[in-house]
Amino acid sequence: MAGSSHDSARRNNLILAICVAAAVACLPLVVKDVYIQNMLVLTLMYAALSQSWNILSGYCGQISLGHALYFGLGAYATLLLFTKFGVLPWFGMIAGGVIAAAVAAAVGYPCFRLKGHYFVIATIVIAEAGLLLMLNWDWAGAAMGIEVPVRGDSWAKFQFARSKLPYFYFALGLALVAWIVTWKIEDSRWGYWWRAVKDNAEAAESLGVVVFRSKMAAAAVSAFLTAVGGGFYAQFVSYIDPESVMSFQFSLLMALPAVLGGIGTLWGPAVGAAILIPITEVTRSYAGGTGKGFDLIVYGLLVMGIALGRPEGIVGAPLRARKRAKAA
Amino acid sequence: MKLNRREALAGAAALAASLGASGAYAADEIVVGAVFPMSGSTAQTGVDARNAIETALAIVNAKTDLDLPLAKDAGLTGLGGNKIKVVYADHQGDPQKGRAEAERLITQDKVTAIIGCYHSSVSATVSQTCERYAVPFMCADSSSPSLNKRGLKFFFRASAHDEMFSAAMFDLMDMLRKQGQKIETLALFHEDTIFGTDSANVQTKLAAARGYKIVADVKYRANSPSLTSEVQQLKSGNADVLMPSSYTTDGILLVRTMAELGYKPKAIIAQAAGFSEKALYDAVGDHLEGAITRGSFSLDLATKRPMVGKVNDLFKKTAGKDLNDNTSREFTAMITLADAINRAASTDGEKIRAALAATDISGDKTIMPWKRIKFDETGQNNDCDPVLLQYVGKKFVTIFPESGAIAKPLWPMKG
Amino acid sequence: MTAEAVIQSLASGLLMGLIYGLVAAGLALIFGLMDVVNFAHGEFLMTSMYAAFGLYLAFALDPLASAPFVAAAMFVFGAVVYLGLVRFAMSASANAGMVQIFATFGLAITMRGLAQLLFTPDYRSIPHSWLGGKTLKVAGIFLPAPQLAGALVSLAAFGALWLVINKTDFGRALEATREDAGAVALVGIDKKRIFALGWGLGGALVGLAGAVLATFFYIYPDVGASFALIAYVTVALGGFGSVFGAFAAGILVGVVEAGTAFILPASLKYLGIYALYLLVVVLRPRGLFGSL
Repeated sequence: MAGSSHDSARRNNLILAICVAAAVACLPLVVKDVYIQNMLVLTLMYAALSQSWNILSGYCGQISLGHALYFGLGAYATLLLFTKFGVLPWFGMIAGGVIAAAVAAAVGYPCFRLKGHYFVIATIVIAEAGLLLMLNWDWAGAAMGIEVPVRGDSWAKFQFARSKLPYFYFALGLALVAWIVTWKIEDSRWGYWWRAVKDNAEAAESLGVVVFRSKMAAAAVSAFLTAVGGGFYAQFVSYIDPESVMSFQFSLLMALPAVLGGIGTLWGPAVGAAILIPITEVTRSYAGGTGKGFDLIVYGLLVMGIALGRPEGIVGAPLRARKRAKAA
Repeated sequence: MKLNRREALAGAAALAASLGASGAYAADEIVVGAVFPMSGSTAQTGVDARNAIETALAIVNAKTDLDLPLAKDAGLTGLGGNKIKVVYADHQGDPQKGRAEAERLITQDKVTAIIGCYHSSVSATVSQTCERYAVPFMCADSSSPSLNKRGLKFFFRASAHDEMFSAAMFDLMDMLRKQGQKIETLALFHEDTIFGTDSANVQTKLAAARGYKIVADVKYRANSPSLTSEVQQLKSGNADVLMPSSYTTDGILLVRTMAELGYKPKAIIAQAAGFSEKALYDAVGDHLEGAITRGSFSLDLATKRPMVGKVNDLFKKTAGKDLNDNTSREFTAMITLADAINRAASTDGEKIRAALAATDISGDKTIMPWKRIKFDETGQNNDCDPVLLQYVGKKFVTIFPESGAIAKPLWPMKG
Repeated sequence: MTAEAVIQSLASGLLMGLIYGLVAAGLALIFGLMDVVNFAHGEFLMTSMYAAFGLYLAFALDPLASAPFVAAAMFVFGAVVYLGLVRFAMSASANAGMVQIFATFGLAITMRGLAQLLFTPDYRSIPHSWLGGKTLKVAGIFLPAPQLAGALVSLAAFGALWLVINKTDFGRALEATREDAGAVALVGIDKKRIFALGWGLGGALVGLAGAVLATFFYIYPDVGASFALIAYVTVALGGFGSVFGAFAAGILVGVVEAGTAFILPASLKYLGIYALYLLVVVLRPRGLFGSL
């Protein structure tokens, strides 16, 4: 791989990302409908979450279907600190991120030795255990959840009664941060090791210890960003309960955009989220009211169709094809 | 070719906008939003709610001889005979989706009010959203006592909350005690989501206040594949009264497991939910002869108030089942809301709110066994005494309060 | 807590464990032996339960009598799902595992939607069956007849599965195909055919489980979710590649669940199962008896 063309490709990607972010930032000038703004916020949030998930599961190859745990930790830390101790959500989100990162490292230490499905099921089981504990933790509201009374707009408390724009820009910022972190990692020593490990089992042996440490770090970074997303979601919805922030469904929803867009690619999560989330929302809103399950059928068929139609992800295939062409 | 994010978003936005525009209504229609679970594990409730609301609309929008508000004329007389149309949205039991749907209904469909939402958690976010947009929220069937205590101006609940429901259950036990029955120990059996937790919290408080001893307090995971260990704990507690707070699924499994482990409780007083659903009695009714459940509604009322039977027949025609605890509340909430919109003679949120606050419908003009519908300053109706029903001979009979009772309680149950 | 209660608890846990085993048997074949993820396992189970319920409504056929028919129908269904969907998901050149997860996840959601469309979201159940409500009392210990029957079917299913995998050409071909589809093609084994049969057999096992569950469990479109997670944990706990492992793990899960409910509040009883899984895989990264 020639250094200069590699560098210019990376620079082009960064420029593209900044342009896309700038273009998205202008969207509210055109889109005034609250429902669509809401959909945009969710899309950006899932782009950020899926990007975070992609760091651990896509690049590092540790498939996690338990990221709902970190999302929930962020949501709960933010609202508990605010409602119980009056800590502003900005600090709460950071605290949630730190807690989630610590938990991710603690979970990763024993679990990174597990291979394949054993690891995936371990992540599911740990997240489910977290859900059960939250459902039974009375001080944290247990099943009753926590509600933030929203009384007027406030940047300090990060709550806005009607306007979606502050949430929109926060979600955009988070998605951009997650993208840049991924962009940095791709070209770092970690990224290099991970690729080496994927391509060559012997390299994995010789790199054993450093790779293990880098995986722990990846888990912590991924969990931190996911938890900040969780804290954001809690502020955005202003009510959380264990089922609505920690259920297994969330873990899947975070992984889905990256898989559809292209797992382990820079642009996969964002592209996947931009397609998937509007579809999810629109099918529920316009086909769900009948009670006949049409929304589920349409959504399920679409997921199946995309998974089969573009098994390497929407941006995955062309990138690989380009690489192959270059190699030839 | 890479599909870029902007194009995808723009496409989606155009799609949503076109779909939104298709929701335009005839100018003379008054649009109300209904947010219920229409898919997922509680979809049945949402589908039933839709039937109940449509039954109410049929009565409000057409000329009937029923003695209900608005029944005698076609449409709303206060708004020149305009008809009400309800648009339904699915929240799948998720507070975030409920909130998003409420926002969509308010901003796109321009609904004048919202009715919902079954899950207390979703009612919490939807009512919050309604408050922000100054649109009245009619809480049809969520019974968490905290909902009306959040200082919301646009929240209204015509039916009882869990504190009132549980109080009625303890009133019955107090009465039976006075009549010489030995009722000292209770077993609570409740699921771990908001409904069961809420119900058990209230029951624990009431038990302490009124001198009952809780010998088993079994909180279980909702939709567990097995309830064997849980039933064993109930069995070893062998309380005088078993008080389950369970949805239909867990209720069916509970009763089956009790039968299989040879546990016959002396009496059951249930917090409705699953125990007021036909599906549960179809499945395990044999074991429930004499079981008692609290409820908001009783078909027995039809003997005193024939209109109740007629409404039930109308509902049964579309839904294929009798009105029950939930559907009767949804029906009544819709009628109450329609009455307020009619009196407000406007589709303005503030005016409808004022009309709702001034609501005063006497009990005999409803299908419920209530004294009246009149909201206090928190939006709660306090004159909606619950009833207690006993399952005897394959149907429910009202046994409490004594004013509405048509039979003496069968105690202990036969099982 | 009396000794009787402890024994009763163990007995109930054992019976439930065998049923968990039965529910996991089909998954043990597809997921455990063929190394294909089937995220729609719970929906396969739901479909089987509706099939048993439908046969009961139409022909008043007891679920135990209809079990062979349900199994046969699910055999066809399993093979069709493989040929029509999973085959393509497996041929993905990258991330085949994730593609399988999401292809079958899409299938699961579609199946739930279809069930809601066709059968409405109402809760169904079979009120009267041969064994329903009957219970055996041995020395003060209650053994419910439907669960006993389920336990026996479970034993038989695992016995048959073990024989098929270890004593038949099909079993050997299946194992060889999983390991190296290219090599077996050289000796004239058609991967497509072998895997279609494998999925059919897996479907048939789920069919048996669904029919047995229909005798005492409620049925609705989301019912599969209650059992699916336990089935995945059971298969992984037992270890991939081992039929006996899934069987042993099923029993262990049932007993640990009952045991945890003694120590912790019942609402936390699944923590015991989760802790057991984590403990086992940390000590033995290939599960109890796994070879993969």
